[in-house]
Amino acid sequence: MKNAKTLKCCGNCDAHNSYDYPSKIFCSTRHAQNKDPIVDTLWCCEDYSRVCQECYCVREALMEKEGREAAQR
Amino acid sequence: MIERKDYLQDPVVHIKISKKLTVDQLMQQFKNSGSLGAGRLATACDIYENMISDPECTVFLALSGAVIPAGMRTLVADLIRKRFVDVVVCTGASMVHDAIEAVGGHHYKGSCVVSDHELYKHHIFRIYDVFVTEEDYVRLDYQLSEMYDNIAAKHKGESLSSNEFTWEIGKCLKDPNSILRAAYEENVPIFLPAVRDSEFGFIHWLHSSQQNKKPILQLDAFKDVPTISGICSKSPKNGMVVIGGGVPRNTIQSAALASKKGLDYGVVITMDRPEIGGLSGSTLEEAVSWGKIKGQANQVMVIGDALMVFPFMVASVTERLGEDFRRVPFLERERLLEQRC
Repeated sequence: MKNAKTLKCCGNCDAHNSYDYPSKIFCSTRHAQNKDPIVDTLWCCEDYSRVCQECYCVREALMEKEGREAAQR
Repeated sequence: MIERKDYLQDPVVHIKISKKLTVDQLMQQFKNSGSLGAGRLATACDIYENMISDPECTVFLALSGAVIPAGMRTLVADLIRKRFVDVVVCTGASMVHDAIEAVGGHHYKGSCVVSDHELYKHHIFRIYDVFVTEEDYVRLDYQLSEMYDNIAAKHKGESLSSNEFTWEIGKCLKDPNSILRAAYEENVPIFLPAVRDSEFGFIHWLHSSQQNKKPILQLDAFKDVPTISGICSKSPKNGMVVIGGGVPRNTIQSAALASKKGLDYGVVITMDRPEIGGLSGSTLEEAVSWGKIKGQANQVMVIGDALMVFPFMVASVTERLGEDFRRVPFLERERLLEQRC
């Protein structure tokens, strides 16, 4: 989980708002572009811009993903 | 001239608590005391009962502060459905909190002793000791953005007043416990004089900033003025119950002034002080000097937390009027009579 803060993904982008915490993000940039604004926290696009204040979205999304994968194994 | 004995007519009767005491019986005990906050609360109940029972009175409710997220949502919706309120004037935020729950969101019992920086990292917002999640706001934002699209398309870019706007939003919501929905169904106008200063305003940015977006929802802040002043003007008497104060209280008082009527009844529940000159703490006597409330009006100011005071008032007055009491507001009767003619 060490890299959660530095990962380049939607959950660390300044256009992110929590939509289905922690796995889904509402992206205001995509909404303005008439694209589907609901994206995965761990996804990323070419409009990425690092968030100015940190949050737990990425850390929690990674934990949830690991839990899901462990359950599948 | 007032003589010494005139000051000493009414002894304090001490409060006595019996085993089976109803809310209104407790309120009568407060009335017997007649002192301090208990006396003022008992007076507020009498005035609210008089307002509702007066066949010529239109009842305005001013809502500000955080009473809706803190638990007063259903109570206000029920007042609208029972027609114990004829007109609501409130902050945009109060109706945003109503809409959050109407689309499936929640407000949570929290604490004021908490790390707000940690809450920030979890995308949780705090309203004193009530928590609300960012996703509940965002889900509402997304739905509101779609509602704005549809409302703007329906009105073809024509400007709406804030009460036309709340009517349209109430029409889109399905939750029967929603204040906006209840007002839509009961044809009770909700005015939002500071609508822009709320999520309703900032979501307009989301709605209008979409590429090639046409038409854009337009609101006209001035369009409400003749409507609310007209209600005051047509009604033989006007009364207000104020929770908090601020812009909603001033809107009602100014409508009473503009219509040259002045309010006949006034109950203000606030924690604010008059010394700083702000409206929320200003006394009702001060409003008399403006002509916003009549000099002989039936009025009281209750200093207290509205989340505690107002439910007591409503419970007490409901008990007095009884289950079978049905109120037909003055303006509604006028409309029905016009239809018959």
